Amino acid sequence: MAATARRIPMRFIGKRLLHAVVTIFGIAIINFFLLQLAPGDAADALAGESGTADPEYLANLRREFGLDRPLLEQLASFLMRIARLDLGYSFRYNEDIAHLIFHRLPATLLLMVTSVVLALGIGILFGVTAARYFNRLPDRLISLVALLLYATPPFWIGLMMILVFSVQLGWTPTGGMRDIAASSKGFAGVLDVARHLALPALTQAFFYLAIYTRLLRAGMLEVLNLEYIRVARAKGISERRISYVHALRNAVLPLVTVVGTNVGGFLGGAVLTETVFSWPGIGRLMFDAMFQRDLNLLLSILVLSSIFVVLANLVVDLLYAVINPTVELR
Amino acid sequence: MAAPLLEIDDLRVGIRSNAAAEILRGVSLTIERGETLAVVGESGCGKSLTSLSVMGLLPDGLEKRGGTIRFEGAILPITDNEAMRRIRGRRIGMVFQEPMAALNPVFTIGDQVAEVILEHEAVSRADAMARVVDLLARVGLPDPAQIAREHPHRLSGGQRQRVVIAMALACRPDLLIADEPTTALDVTVQAQIMRLLQELQRDLGIAILLITHNLGLVAQVADRVAVMYAGRKVEEAATAGLFAAPQHPYTRGLLAATPRPGRRRAGEPPLTEIPGVVPSVTELLSGCRFRPRCAFAGDVCASVDPAFGGRVACHFPQTVELVPGVVT
Ligand SMILES: Nc1ncnc2c1ncn2[C@@H]1O[C@H](COP(=O)(O)OP(=O)(O)OP(=O)(O)O)[C@@H](O)[C@H]1O
Ligand SMILES: [Mg+2]
Repeated sequence: MAATARRIPMRFIGKRLLHAVVTIFGIAIINFFLLQLAPGDAADALAGESGTADPEYLANLRREFGLDRPLLEQLASFLMRIARLDLGYSFRYNEDIAHLIFHRLPATLLLMVTSVVLALGIGILFGVTAARYFNRLPDRLISLVALLLYATPPFWIGLMMILVFSVQLGWTPTGGMRDIAASSKGFAGVLDVARHLALPALTQAFFYLAIYTRLLRAGMLEVLNLEYIRVARAKGISERRISYVHALRNAVLPLVTVVGTNVGGFLGGAVLTETVFSWPGIGRLMFDAMFQRDLNLLLSILVLSSIFVVLANLVVDLLYAVINPTVELR
Repeated sequence: MAAPLLEIDDLRVGIRSNAAAEILRGVSLTIERGETLAVVGESGCGKSLTSLSVMGLLPDGLEKRGGTIRFEGAILPITDNEAMRRIRGRRIGMVFQEPMAALNPVFTIGDQVAEVILEHEAVSRADAMARVVDLLARVGLPDPAQIAREHPHRLSGGQRQRVVIAMALACRPDLLIADEPTTALDVTVQAQIMRLLQELQRDLGIAILLITHNLGLVAQVADRVAVMYAGRKVEEAATAGLFAAPQHPYTRGLLAATPRPGRRRAGEPPLTEIPGVVPSVTELLSGCRFRPRCAFAGDVCASVDPAFGGRVACHFPQTVELVPGVVT
């Protein structure tokens, strides 16, 4: 059964986008001051690496990067640059930050989409099956697996999978996104990326899967007891259709919110996975930027991350209204 | 003689986790084609469970312990879900008590009604939708094409119950089970819905199993009445006969507790309630389960559970007419 298409709520979207801009600038300002509190700056890090602590050299570096100017002036120029989508220059990578980020973004998006789709697919299957066989063997098994996945730190799952599938069995590479040797074009290229993607995507998916399964099982159990499900049974509808069409569409609502949160927070969530699997995405870039005191880069990624969160929230609200027709967008 | 449309014989249903707890203790009911049988009785006496048994939709914690249910002479495979599915919605339609909760909030009215047709008949979606619009018009909904496109939250309780009725009748079943179809509605809407059911019954020739607390309603629409008490049928008679001369003390109590216009004028005694409460299903009680509340009980009632003898299950059936000439 298809939901009838409704008009796109332009007013709602406009209002929310305005909120989004205000929110993003707010987050940017907070991040800016938080990073000021952290000890050391890019000049310290650079100087430390080159082995000199010559005050003259440090002062020079700071003047060059504008780090010697008053704080508010630095903030103002930072905000101006965000407004112009000019993210500045990374001194560590000697590269334009916007360029750096957009170069890395596809890898992270690929990892995100793959892991969320995997987790959703399996999570829905698990959650619905567990609810249909409530308190029977399939439910017990699924609930146990979900609990184990939930209780195990993802990076550990990642390391174990490397140990088993890469080291022992040799099925997958231990890290990276492409083999230098392999052809990067056509089907062979896709296959190469897929082989590299398998473990990090599974690691990330397992973490979400545990949450999705538990959430959906609870939602399904609640919905399956409702009167309209009994009415559907009295219509002679099959149990499978009742579960996957009548109940799921209602039980999936809370899941939409959580998936939205996961997608929005993906940049932060992927740091560990991308580091463990040396996946060349934004998460690892953020990790490196943090250790190298590349505050400009770090700030830019944080701003990007806040844009992600705000956009994901907007999409969740729109999706909510599509799935549940009783929701009125204002 | 042709077999009755529905024949429930000695139906026993118990609680799965408790072998001693029996909720339906041998219910027998018969419905002929095209007639209306009303089932009445206090809350908890097993009316809904009887109808859910017919549909093969007993709640999880309950189990059928014995008895047979025949539909057009064939035993209903009520524990075989796949076989039952071809009967539910197609041969037997059901209307429930809570129209506000009976429709799925995320699908349109049209989709939900069409679903029954598409499930049971090999018709195209477009044909099914055309039939849905006809059906919605038939159950008295204004602007049926528009309503088919709406989601349930836009409809009132009375409108939703009409949709549920349309859904139950979509495949022209032979039997409609209506479990308190008007209880949740306000009085004027109640009357409209009952009038609709009667009309549909007349036009389509369906039989109706009407479960209700409302004895006034029974007097208006039912051909026969079965009175249930604590999981058993205690009395059954043609409607007029039952109202004029109820024989079971429980039936007399029920009638005495029912307000009816003109009651005072007719010289009836004021309303009285039946003392005491229905014994719980787990309560051990020898003999007749109505005995603790019965004014006419004798020694035999404590030891022997009275069998149903054609009209009534009672050791001391009352033969005095309640109020002669009241029933019209
Ligand atoms: N799932 C269940 N598990 C245990 N007992 C149940 C269950 N469902 C119903 N019962 C019991 O079965 C008895 C009969 O229930 P039923 O719903 O048939 O009553 P009813 O006559 O329809 O009452 P009402 O008029 O209130 O609808 C009640 O005492 C109820 O407590
Ligand atoms: Mg009931």
